Amino acid sequence: MDLKDELRSIAGNHVFSAKEEIIPFLSDASYFTGDEPIAVVVPGTAEEVSKIMAVCSRTETPVVVRGGGTSLTGASVLKGNGIVISMNRFDHVLETSVEDKYVVAEPGVRLDELNYHLEQFGHFYPPDPASSRAATVGGSLSTNAGGLRAAMYGTTKNWVLGMEVVMPDGQVLQFGGKTLKRTSGYDLTSLMVGAEGTLGIITKAILKIWPLPETKGRAVAYYKSIESVGEAVSELKRLGITPMIAEFLDRLTMNSITRNKGLKFPQDAEYMLIIDVASTRESVERELSGAADVLKKFGPIEVTTTTDSGEMEVMYEARKGAYASLLTERERSTQRVVIGDIVVPASKLADTLKESIEKMKELGIHSGLVGHVGDGNIHANIYADLEDEDEMERVEKFQREFGAIAIRHQGSVSAEHGIGMEKMDLLIDEFEGKHSLGTLELMKKIKRVFDPGDILNRGKLLRR
Amino acid sequence: MIDARLLESLDNATKDCISCGFCESVCPTLPASDYDLSRGARGRVLLGRALYKDLKEKGATEVNVADSFYSCLDCFACVHVCPAGVNAGEVSDIAKEIITATGSPLESQKKNVATMIVNSTMKYGNPLGLRKKAASWSEGLEFDGSSKTLLYTGNMYQLMPFSKSMGAMKAKLGNRAAERIAGYFKSHPQFIKLSGMFQDRTTREEMENSLRNIYALLRKSGADFNYLGEKEPYPGTFLYDLGYMEEFKEYANTVADLFRSEGVRRIITIDPHTHNVLKNNYPGVVKNFDFEIVYYLDLLDNKMFEPGEEDIEYHEPCYFTLREPVYREPEKTLSLAGNVHKPRRSGKNNFCCGGPSELLYPELAHSVSERRREQLEAGRGRRVVTACPICYANLNRDRDVTDIANYLSEHIKG
Ligand SMILES: C[C@@H](O)C(=O)O
Repeated sequence: MDLKDELRSIAGNHVFSAKEEIIPFLSDASYFTGDEPIAVVVPGTAEEVSKIMAVCSRTETPVVVRGGGTSLTGASVLKGNGIVISMNRFDHVLETSVEDKYVVAEPGVRLDELNYHLEQFGHFYPPDPASSRAATVGGSLSTNAGGLRAAMYGTTKNWVLGMEVVMPDGQVLQFGGKTLKRTSGYDLTSLMVGAEGTLGIITKAILKIWPLPETKGRAVAYYKSIESVGEAVSELKRLGITPMIAEFLDRLTMNSITRNKGLKFPQDAEYMLIIDVASTRESVERELSGAADVLKKFGPIEVTTTTDSGEMEVMYEARKGAYASLLTERERSTQRVVIGDIVVPASKLADTLKESIEKMKELGIHSGLVGHVGDGNIHANIYADLEDEDEMERVEKFQREFGAIAIRHQGSVSAEHGIGMEKMDLLIDEFEGKHSLGTLELMKKIKRVFDPGDILNRGKLLRR
Repeated sequence: MIDARLLESLDNATKDCISCGFCESVCPTLPASDYDLSRGARGRVLLGRALYKDLKEKGATEVNVADSFYSCLDCFACVHVCPAGVNAGEVSDIAKEIITATGSPLESQKKNVATMIVNSTMKYGNPLGLRKKAASWSEGLEFDGSSKTLLYTGNMYQLMPFSKSMGAMKAKLGNRAAERIAGYFKSHPQFIKLSGMFQDRTTREEMENSLRNIYALLRKSGADFNYLGEKEPYPGTFLYDLGYMEEFKEYANTVADLFRSEGVRRIITIDPHTHNVLKNNYPGVVKNFDFEIVYYLDLLDNKMFEPGEEDIEYHEPCYFTLREPVYREPEKTLSLAGNVHKPRRSGKNNFCCGGPSELLYPELAHSVSERRREQLEAGRGRRVVTACPICYANLNRDRDVTDIANYLSEHIKG
């Protein structure tokens, strides 16, 4: 039997190999185009995944696991030869316990769907990447997604209690469990979070949930200088105000939102800062005006507040779509977007932003800046013509310098998008900067223990 | 050779896509196809992009793109969530036009079932050559032959019993066999009338009942109008939807000429698809298409309805909610006679009934409609009401769905 037949004997007609079926699997949300897989399998049960992995192990066939296909680092497309396993059919929420504060979900459930489900119970799952509409449980666990609400609730790793994992050789293992506390040996659940599909395949996840905040309010400030943004956020934190989200957008990003969603912003505003507070009905106004007072200290063009949920929702959606709306603002139709994703301690935000912008000017980089600044996370959405060697060289250079700025300020080269096939050198830079290349060696050993044949997401995360 | 204008529109419709996948999350055909990405909105845009590149660079393509685009329901749910304004429905429309254009390098990808429908429409003015059957609902009803206002059914209600049984037949035969049979019919359109033997009887009764109710509602509201009976042609919606633009243009002009020769000034439409095609597509292909197009609900005397307490779950037609301008009259009128609830997926987030795929992909259509039924059943309404014959035919199982005209007719005072 050839590989495709073997896969068909396991997953029936959920195996694709015709060109037109394969093409959509060559793209995720990054600028990378994957190599053509021998086949795409869309299994429906953990047992099928296990059998598929046993075959792939035996035949030494590399495997890329795909969820919502929203990776920004090429983590969900194939590099080299192999197959793609799509987890989309794992789209059920299996169990919800308000009393024990967990939900059991399959990996293909999209995050917004999960939250719609939890809303019926007055609860939510806080991790909230901008891609939450399309991103899945499995993919977001595998990238340790952060997102907007990380400002208050932290990233995915804080919300995962346990999981079921199919190992490369086909074993089905249980990690962690349903309790909030557990000290039972190495925390393999945590190891899986952010592993980018290189260690095992998540077939079930037990996630912590939280009661929805009673109400929310928003303060918005517009500034002319980037330092004001950084300083305002640092000051909020110093005063012990923890916003639910703290987002900033630059002019280019505002322009794309105006073009695509029709929202208007003050004309001379260069930067927009959005602060959401989660609170009780009694205290939301007080907390909002507290936040607004801080924002006013840094020379804003305008500060407004609102508790109108409809108005807040429209801007929230627009912010979440910012990355995806950017191609309409490019200078040349051949350009794509390369995205930088650094994080620094909040106190270093103002300096980091300033230095980053200077570097962009110096290298002639055209980009839109946005960020989840509440936790010190900045994204540079860089226009890059993949065909233009000179431009790509400058973009590459900027990415390394952008990473270097983060490292210098004791941050990281990847806050929430992962390494994929994009940031492998930056990862080395980060540990070199800490004089700790041994950490990477340890990671490689771990990888060999989990996946001795290196069949899972080969060519990603760690340089061989 | 592909028309440069078509190629340019394909480029424009796809170039701003960054492949974020948001559109996939609302596309009804993606889960219904068990996540075959080529049957989802993002897949269609990506395939549209690939098609554009192939045509531009090589003037041809080896990729079999047709099923991806033909399986699109054209519901336009995707465009409302796209941060960059990309519309996978429009991409599908353009691609279908490329496939069907005269001398297209994608000629071999044409669908026999589509061509069969097109040929029959061109020849008989009805996709199944059934004009006589289409008029039978009106037996015994009076019309004002001198009125310049025309009640135009567009044959839509009447076609549903056939589309349903043909879909079922196709599902049984499998796509290949159905394509072969259709291949025969497309070159022998005279035999297509035989398809009149295949009809779902209960659907036919329901549809004729709706037509008579629409007639009665309009009469009670004091409207006078003519009806063309067996002369009434189908509006050619399929031609447009299947991408046969050259044929559509020719056909629309014959329909418009007929309206003119009958002295029509005002046209009352009774289903969203016919309403849309006359209002939005005819003016683009028929010179001086200056008829007044009104929807029958606009003409009803709202005072005739008895306020009702029944909880109904209203399934909105995509044409009235996902396209501009939004048309709210059905919901307003329904609320006069019942407590209207809508499922979570409604309004700008509406979820299609699956109907537009019934003829070409009956299994897909069925799978979409099953999902929609689950959503409707999860709502607070006790009875599902539709406002489009296609939605009705696809969502109905054992008469557990009610057409808006029938619901309203049950709630007339006195
Ligand atoms: C790119 C994604 O992380 C965002 O924050 O928009």
